[in-house]
Amino acid sequence: MSKKHLLTVVCCLLSVVTLAQERIILLNEGMWQADNGRITYFEDGTVVSNQWFRDKNGLKLGDTPNDIIQINENLIAIAINWSNVVQFITPDGKAVAATEDIPNNRKLCSDGKFVYVTSYGHECETIDGTVYFDKGFVAKIDISNFKVTATCEVGYEPEGIALYNGYLFVANTGGYAGQEDHEYETTVSIINANSMEVEKTIETGVPNLYGEMSQSGRYLCINSPGDYYETPACGLVFDCEKALTSNDCFVKFDYPATYNTTTLDGKFLAVGSNFSYITGEYEFSRLTIEPWTVMKTRGQSGLEQTMPGTLGSDFANMEQPYGIYVNPYTGYIYGTDAGSFEGAGYLYQWSPEGQLLGKHRVYINPGHFLALPTEGYFDGIGGIDNGQWTMDNCVFDLQGRKINGPASNVQWKKGTIYIKEGKKYYITK
Amino acid sequence: MKKYYLQAILATVLAFVGTASANAQNLNDEDRPDSIQELHEVTVTSKQPLRTIATSQTLSGADLQALSTTSVADALKYFSGVQIKDYGGLGGLKTINVRSLGAQHVGVYIDGIRITNAQNGTVDLGKFSLSSMESVSLYNANKLDYCQSASEYASGATVYLQTRRPTSDSLSVQLRNGSFHTWMAKLNGQFNWRGWQGFIDGEYCTSRGDYPFRYHSEYEDTVGRRTNSDIRYGRIEGALFRGGFSSHIYYYDSERGCPGGIVRRLSDKYTNVGREWDRDFFVQASYQERFFRRLLFKANTKYTNEYLRYCTKYPENQNTARVDNHYRQQDVYGALCAAYQPWSWLSLSSSYDARYSILRADLKRFDDVKRVDQKLVFAAQMNWHDIQAAVSALHQRYSDWTFAHAGAADPLDRWTPAFSLAYTLHDVTLRGWYKEIFRVPTLNDLYYTQVGNRNLKPENTKQWNVGVEYHWDNRQRTTDNRQRSMVNGQWSMDFQVDAYINKIENRIVCLPLKGTYTWSMMNYGYTYCRGLNATIKGHYTRGPWNFSLLNSITWQRDVDRTDPEDEDMYDKPICYSPTFSTGVTAIMGWRSLQFTTSYLYVGERMWSKADPEDILEPYHNIDMKLSYTHHIKKTSLGLCLEVCDVLDIQYEHLPRYPMPGRNYKLTLSFGI
Repeated sequence: MSKKHLLTVVCCLLSVVTLAQERIILLNEGMWQADNGRITYFEDGTVVSNQWFRDKNGLKLGDTPNDIIQINENLIAIAINWSNVVQFITPDGKAVAATEDIPNNRKLCSDGKFVYVTSYGHECETIDGTVYFDKGFVAKIDISNFKVTATCEVGYEPEGIALYNGYLFVANTGGYAGQEDHEYETTVSIINANSMEVEKTIETGVPNLYGEMSQSGRYLCINSPGDYYETPACGLVFDCEKALTSNDCFVKFDYPATYNTTTLDGKFLAVGSNFSYITGEYEFSRLTIEPWTVMKTRGQSGLEQTMPGTLGSDFANMEQPYGIYVNPYTGYIYGTDAGSFEGAGYLYQWSPEGQLLGKHRVYINPGHFLALPTEGYFDGIGGIDNGQWTMDNCVFDLQGRKINGPASNVQWKKGTIYIKEGKKYYITK
Repeated sequence: MKKYYLQAILATVLAFVGTASANAQNLNDEDRPDSIQELHEVTVTSKQPLRTIATSQTLSGADLQALSTTSVADALKYFSGVQIKDYGGLGGLKTINVRSLGAQHVGVYIDGIRITNAQNGTVDLGKFSLSSMESVSLYNANKLDYCQSASEYASGATVYLQTRRPTSDSLSVQLRNGSFHTWMAKLNGQFNWRGWQGFIDGEYCTSRGDYPFRYHSEYEDTVGRRTNSDIRYGRIEGALFRGGFSSHIYYYDSERGCPGGIVRRLSDKYTNVGREWDRDFFVQASYQERFFRRLLFKANTKYTNEYLRYCTKYPENQNTARVDNHYRQQDVYGALCAAYQPWSWLSLSSSYDARYSILRADLKRFDDVKRVDQKLVFAAQMNWHDIQAAVSALHQRYSDWTFAHAGAADPLDRWTPAFSLAYTLHDVTLRGWYKEIFRVPTLNDLYYTQVGNRNLKPENTKQWNVGVEYHWDNRQRTTDNRQRSMVNGQWSMDFQVDAYINKIENRIVCLPLKGTYTWSMMNYGYTYCRGLNATIKGHYTRGPWNFSLLNSITWQRDVDRTDPEDEDMYDKPICYSPTFSTGVTAIMGWRSLQFTTSYLYVGERMWSKADPEDILEPYHNIDMKLSYTHHIKKTSLGLCLEVCDVLDIQYEHLPRYPMPGRNYKLTLSFGI
């Protein structure tokens, strides 16, 4: 009798416990040419595995995974740079497909149907044969067959990519300028995602737009490490909506935003360093950026040198900060410390208020995050569109990911901000 | 005359070949085709007082030639305390690390003159052939000789390559075919004419290097062939000697592919396509003369010109920046040494070295760098009854000039000491030594575009060592040794064991910069290494038979002592440093038939500290070599078969850089 009771209690407990709230996939880049890129899977305060991909697939992930995004509720894409592989997995970690058609891939974004990949490479295998480029390019992968359907040449060494209102915004770095015959790039390319043609190129006057590029609806947070010599590092707030109609669409601020992320209320959190080979010294900075205020006041306000709770000081105490991320579903904050170059890195977790909750040993060079929806989050959202879909009336979350289906179908999550036609909506009930 | 100069010039080196010379003595004159052995006969009488005070290991003459080696790196791996780093294949960079000090603390010297590379500080040992070498020696700390140049005191460990002085005229050609499409041709001519000796040695080799590899584990089964691992090189060198004068000229020209690590790829479509060209030239001369019996003078000079081109500007290259960079380095060196022996038991010496280096490269944001490096040493050595002692103080001064981005580093000025003490009782020597030395940041460390850091401090090392050495041979017990050995055979045995502690501060490493995406050279870290090196050598000769057994054992624990608060790293073993390794070489000879088996074991080592799984597996490696030489009057015909890695165990020195498995070499040689 008591056994039965106990069993009932245990069952009840389990059903409560299994509804995971915090589910984070973290990419560990590993060491270059050592083929030891790994995935950490973190759930509710525990590192479940530091070799998640291998556990699930019996396969190694590859060399230097560089970006991870969620495409839809069934599919995640990972750009594995030195392996020249874009790997597709399901949210429970199972490998679905992989393509090496885009060599030297860097960063990803998606509209749920296509995946857009930036590449430093000069060739791409498409459904129409091999395409060659002098500079870098963006490839469009159709997830129905994982083939590249179209490409678009942009500047040298394009890095960050974001989707806004049917347009791709690509930050060009010219990162090989230190060695190759060209100079650093200073532009953001705007591409029509549908036709894959460059619509417009915005000249920012800032070299080397390299680093994480976060999106908060219509705003982007872009980093420039400078040229590491005379030109110092800085950051940009970029207004995608404005960029479509005007060249006056960004504000430069004097702090680098090497690692940045978007908070639930649409702000950017950024940490970074200003480094020059001339002096050999660096200045560490931590920022909270309110992009709409920065844009409105031309950078006069909206930029604070603080971060929630102990975040700022915790980052300052790290050996090698390597990433920052806010869980878009829960607001919990994550950061990574790559530690010493041959040892394991650490994953930090903070509450949304910035209270340090824990520090977890992961693997080498942990730097790229993806939060999986809190269990049950996708319930009620319709399946993937069957090709009829247009950009109109679509809703995006703050990471720029399209919430599937027309607005009327979306089950709104209370306390979350969504973007529709460039405007923000805060769900109160 | 001949006896005199041999004693004066080759004294130290020759002292170490005492055991080998025993073999030479025992051979009948008709059976002695090789000029090497004649040299030994003289050396038996040469007594080097400071023989055992330094910790050293030598492979020479017959032992050296008996090993299955293609380059100097292959021979050094049989020494105790040595770790080889090898990127695999004939063209892969080969460097050595002694007692975990780091490759840049190892000085490599040809006939007492250092091979330098101001650019990166390491010497690719794959570029030096053993065919013109009499001996290869490794000294921990440095060699101790009466009259040494200051730069010979200036490294944490020293490798001496001693070229062979011909004693007769000869000409030989060799042709070799090896696995993985390897072809090699070699020509050697030597002469000894009216007090002049010399040789010319040329070699040409091409290899596709497309060896197969396999990575097999529970989560991977990667099978493939190494690509872009080809090499072709030509080497020609010559030397001229007369009395106290020696000179050497060397030219090496190569082109090779630079294969990368084996990583996950979906196909063979994209591979590393980078290529490298090297052209190295040097000419060096040394002269030594004794005045009034008590004064010894030596002068060394050298000119080096090195060219390196690295190119990735190929359409197939999708993964890295497309560059075509050229580096040119020139180096002029001169040294003067003087030694004075007021009494036969004391020697005082001093030496001044100056070196001028210039590095040019067509890198962006790079400008010519010029470096003047001056060294001054004062040394005293004593050999009083059974006590031997040596003390030296070395002063080094480095000054750089450049307009490269941040300007030149501040000049460096520093004194470093070394002490040695030994006590000999009968055949046993007890010794202890201490040495402090640093390595200066190389020009790459300081000025390389987007990595260099002009504020680097030198990397300091401190070494403590205590050891015991024992030598025994049955000829010592008799006055008429030749007669006795003919009857009973000839035994000799050498044994040495050394315990050591090394500390390294301010390690120069390339680190990602806090909060940026860039990397830079930094001073970071402190390591502490304790170890034990032992070598045992035994030789037995009887009639036409001779046997040798060489064994080296290394045990060491090299740990990180950087940050006591970092529990993941502190007191944890340093990457790539095995705790235990050993090598055994057995050589069996019957007349001119010789069979050698070499066995090498290297224990498990970490390659990252992030996961206990990140280890390089221990490996066993067995090489075998069978050679036969047939003599008809003055001509000889030789045939040699080598099988390397007999067990076909694929191992790695670096993760994802597989070494070739079992491979074969067949060499045909003809000499007059």
